[in-house]
Amino acid sequence: MSVAGVPRPPVTRFTLPNGLGVVLAPIPASPTASVWVWYRVGSKNERPGITGASHWVEHMLFEGSPRYAKGEMDRAVVSVGGELNAFTDTDFTAYLTTVPREHLDVPLDIESDRMTRALISDEEVARERTVIHSEREGAENWPEFRVEEELYQLAFRVHPYRWDALGRREDIERMSAAELREYYRRFYGTRNAILVVAGGFEPSRTAVRIRERFSALPAGGDDVKVGEVEPPARGERRSELTGPGTTPHLEMGWRAPALDDPATPATMIVDAILGGETRPFAAGSGWGRAAEHPSARLYRALVDSGLAVRATSDWRPRVYPGLFTIHAQAAAGVRLDRLERAIDAVLERLGRSGPTVSELNDVRAKIRRGALLAYEGASRTAFRLGYFSVVRSPEYEGRLFRALLRVKANEVRERARSLFVDEARAVVRFEPLDGRPE
Amino acid sequence: MTGARDPLQVKYSEATNGLRIARQTSPPGAASISATYVGPAGWGFDPPSRGGLARLVNQLVTSAAGRHDRIALARLLDRAGATLTRQCAPESAEVTIWGPADEGELLLRLLADVVLRPRFDAEDVARVRRQALERQLRELTQPAARADRELMESLFPVGHPYRSTGTGDRRSLARIRPEDLTAFHRGHYVGSEGLLVVTAPAGHREIERIVRREFSEISDASPPVLDFPHASLPRAAEHRVELRGHSQVEIRLGGSSIPRSAPEYPAAFLANEVLGGRPLLSRLFQRVRERGGLAYHATSELEAMRFGGYWAAQAGTGPDRWSKVVPMLRSELRRLDSAEVPGRELDAIRESAIGEIPLSLESTAEAHELAIELAYHRLPEDYLIRWPARLREVPPGEVREAAAVALDGARASLILVGPLNGR
Repeated sequence: MSVAGVPRPPVTRFTLPNGLGVVLAPIPASPTASVWVWYRVGSKNERPGITGASHWVEHMLFEGSPRYAKGEMDRAVVSVGGELNAFTDTDFTAYLTTVPREHLDVPLDIESDRMTRALISDEEVARERTVIHSEREGAENWPEFRVEEELYQLAFRVHPYRWDALGRREDIERMSAAELREYYRRFYGTRNAILVVAGGFEPSRTAVRIRERFSALPAGGDDVKVGEVEPPARGERRSELTGPGTTPHLEMGWRAPALDDPATPATMIVDAILGGETRPFAAGSGWGRAAEHPSARLYRALVDSGLAVRATSDWRPRVYPGLFTIHAQAAAGVRLDRLERAIDAVLERLGRSGPTVSELNDVRAKIRRGALLAYEGASRTAFRLGYFSVVRSPEYEGRLFRALLRVKANEVRERARSLFVDEARAVVRFEPLDGRPE
Repeated sequence: MTGARDPLQVKYSEATNGLRIARQTSPPGAASISATYVGPAGWGFDPPSRGGLARLVNQLVTSAAGRHDRIALARLLDRAGATLTRQCAPESAEVTIWGPADEGELLLRLLADVVLRPRFDAEDVARVRRQALERQLRELTQPAARADRELMESLFPVGHPYRSTGTGDRRSLARIRPEDLTAFHRGHYVGSEGLLVVTAPAGHREIERIVRREFSEISDASPPVLDFPHASLPRAAEHRVELRGHSQVEIRLGGSSIPRSAPEYPAAFLANEVLGGRPLLSRLFQRVRERGGLAYHATSELEAMRFGGYWAAQAGTGPDRWSKVVPMLRSELRRLDSAEVPGRELDAIRESAIGEIPLSLESTAEAHELAIELAYHRLPEDYLIRWPARLREVPPGEVREAAAVALDGARASLILVGPLNGR
């Protein structure tokens, strides 16, 4: 079956009286069933002092609920050969479990038990604090993380996008179990959740099982809309970092539209022309940042020319206006000023002349063909349906796909002109303290 | 699911130039094709003064080929909705193409092109050298990369193919000339000891015909042989590398181990799963993270290659916690050696490993990974089908004996890299 050119399995959707959204995508031949619960809760719902709360709650939802003592969720899933995990973003948190199809009841039972009744005990919060610290420390070992965290902090002064989903070190140190429980009770509820099941199952029987388990949960979940509006930037903002590393990094960010903004399709094409990415319609894994895009403009101007060892652009689909970023890592011996001038020249040229006909045709073909295999496998299907459901709706994928294919060259040129304004830009430069070339 | 259309079943054949072919059916409903060439082209074959050569060639092979320069090749792949990826290891190097099955013929032709006719354009060589230099720096300054490198150097003697991580050093890279690249390619991307694995939804007879046609020009030259020095393996050692300014210390505790073909491999596999290989259930995860709250990751791996292997327990933790984590790793290794794994624990690990097989069959790409492993190690065509029964046959006593050989904690080297004395 094809929905607006993106082939995907047929989908059944319904909402329980308590507000829980349900999306079912049966794939009869699939040997697995993948269950994802998406909450519209992410670091956007935090405030200074409790940054990282969504991520910490994510950890705590594995640490016990009324029917599953600590460790029993893991054992219940892993002992039947399943996998479970979770991740936290600025806009949402997702919990995923994939099991052999005959064990579908296991994740359904777990998710219904922890959706509103996770224990989050003082003792477990205290123990998990160092684990969270350790996760952040692992990220801090990479300059790329430090640079990006600094960039968002620099570009945003009001909106919660200014902190990373891992949270600030000081807040992780200070946050109490009571604050975490309050955050969980406030936002984690049926009204803010979407349950997606994809894979080998019979939909009507599965719908009955879902109603049995989830209907009794009380309706809950405070409004997750973010009230803070980031005022326009008035002037360029710059920051310089130093630390352990190999060669210098440069990351620039410009205010970019939210996912449902009419300017989004053209922004995504700008990203594809500059950096080569066509997420979420990329071939392969379909979401992660691909290693290299040799035909993209930044790669050709910076990596081919010997100025950089890698160069990418990135626009992440977000519920609120975020950033369009360009990241480049200098080749040994190349100074950041030179790299910055080269990036400016690439952006100026796109804003002046727009993409070529063949570039635009290539990007369209890449999107069209990349979408072809986007739904291979139960886990990937549940991921895509859940993602689009939590940020907009499953139908939004088709609308976005069609809109992307309609973007014209002059729209890309105009978008580049309005996007890459120096006064609205944030720039982070990172110089390594060691590892300098001899 | 049984029979020829079972993705767990692999079919072998051989082309006239010695190239082995392995075919596998995609999981039901999958519409993509994956094809991988595996050649005796890993960094274990790097000449002593040309460290980094195998990785350079592997990267360049996927850059440009035949009449397609780098940009033309990238555009062709994009328009087909395909990806071309590479992987280099001590014994072998791989090139994989993935994309829509209805483009199968084009993709197999492109794979043959890059494997047989890489261009080694001067500007590509220069670019790949720059990237290799940065990778070298990263191995010196980034704690995880440095710890992996230090571990290999502490486990294997000079000249051993597994000792290096394949990046070479500044001087060895500078010595590599264009003719070294072409000579390495000519001698190592060959049919003999080479392998072509294809996973596709259907049309296997046609696929085999295309593969034989497109790879008919692959060299049938005698395969190179890895040179293993006679020197004995180094003694257990402790190596500390202070890297200031970082947040986390990387810990590696490991030793040399058995090859994949060793009879005790299934028991050793289970021993490693018990120790730290099985996510969430393993002893290291439970002790270090769940009970101790000391690290985000605490795992172990058993890397059993064709001619030998290594194992490593690993964790990353803060500068104030690594001294608590190291004794935990050591004590879990001792526990594995000093007592049999209780039946209930072993059964849970075993059934988890068996139960996850369907999860490996969600997509063509995932099933393909299994087929590559099977074919590379020359395991029987129905090995995956018989694997669950083989695992269920392993008694606790065998797991303990295998752990003593394959995960020998008494002879383990300890590597600590990062801000050991604080940030």
